[in-house]
Amino acid sequence: MIQVEVAYALPEKQLIVPLSVKKGTTMYDAVVQSGIADKFAGLDVDAVPMGVFGKAERKPKERVLEEGERVELYRPLIADPKEVRKKRAAKKAAGEE
Amino acid sequence: MEFLFDNITALGALTAIALGFGALLGFAAVKFKVDGNPIVEQIDALLPQTQCGQCGHPGCRPYAEGLAEGEEINKCVPGGEDTIRALADLLGREFVPLDEEHGQTPETKMVAVIREAECIGCTKCIQACPMDAILGAAKQMHTVIADECTGCDLCVEPCPVDCIDMLPVPETLQTWHWDAPKGIGNRPGELIPVRNIA
Repeated sequence: MIQVEVAYALPEKQLIVPLSVKKGTTMYDAVVQSGIADKFAGLDVDAVPMGVFGKAERKPKERVLEEGERVELYRPLIADPKEVRKKRAAKKAAGEE
Repeated sequence: MEFLFDNITALGALTAIALGFGALLGFAAVKFKVDGNPIVEQIDALLPQTQCGQCGHPGCRPYAEGLAEGEEINKCVPGGEDTIRALADLLGREFVPLDEEHGQTPETKMVAVIREAECIGCTKCIQACPMDAILGAAKQMHTVIADECTGCDLCVEPCPVDCIDMLPVPETLQTWHWDAPKGIGNRPGELIPVRNIA
């Protein structure tokens, strides 16, 4: 058995679920076992992007976990990075003139 | 002739003793070798392990090593007065107030909050966080896990869009707690005197 964590975060509520799983457990299985989907309404473990410690993984059903890793479930951005950058550039240009 | 013989015996005996003890010391030096300075472990245990870097070291352990070599004990901002007192006790030094140069212990506990509408998912704050308290990945929303955040504000500076605010932790029924009593027994390592009455 190895110790891992499964985490999901909303601005007002965050949860880290510690979990001991069998060696060879994949990210996806750990997320299902953690039952984290029951704690957050509308969290769909099949659709949500996931990763380990800030690095997204493309295939959570194949990625095998190692001791101490934290599986993270992500949410999409609200802002469009390009728009934000454009706005910032415009602001900066306006400020310099 | 007999005089010479005695001398040789004495010399031989002394040499044998010297070699014997030499071997013993050599053996002990190898057998009981201590890796690193054991005091560093003890000091490290007193530090808050926020790895915030405000003392000028890259983390708590390097500061513990510095302390073992005689560095000032008043550089740990998150630890505050309690940590300084505990260090003073352990190292047998005088208590000195926190060095303001390294920052002030905030009166209220702070927590980082990301303004989500502006986050561009660049991961810079995640890399800066010594506590792994920010959840997110490239081009995904970043969120601070409030319970893990120590309020060290190391994530504020790296954010290219300035979307992280340091806010005081709101006092709710869940976060409110009694203040630690002032006076004897409130510092780590200080014993409360107990008197047994028969």
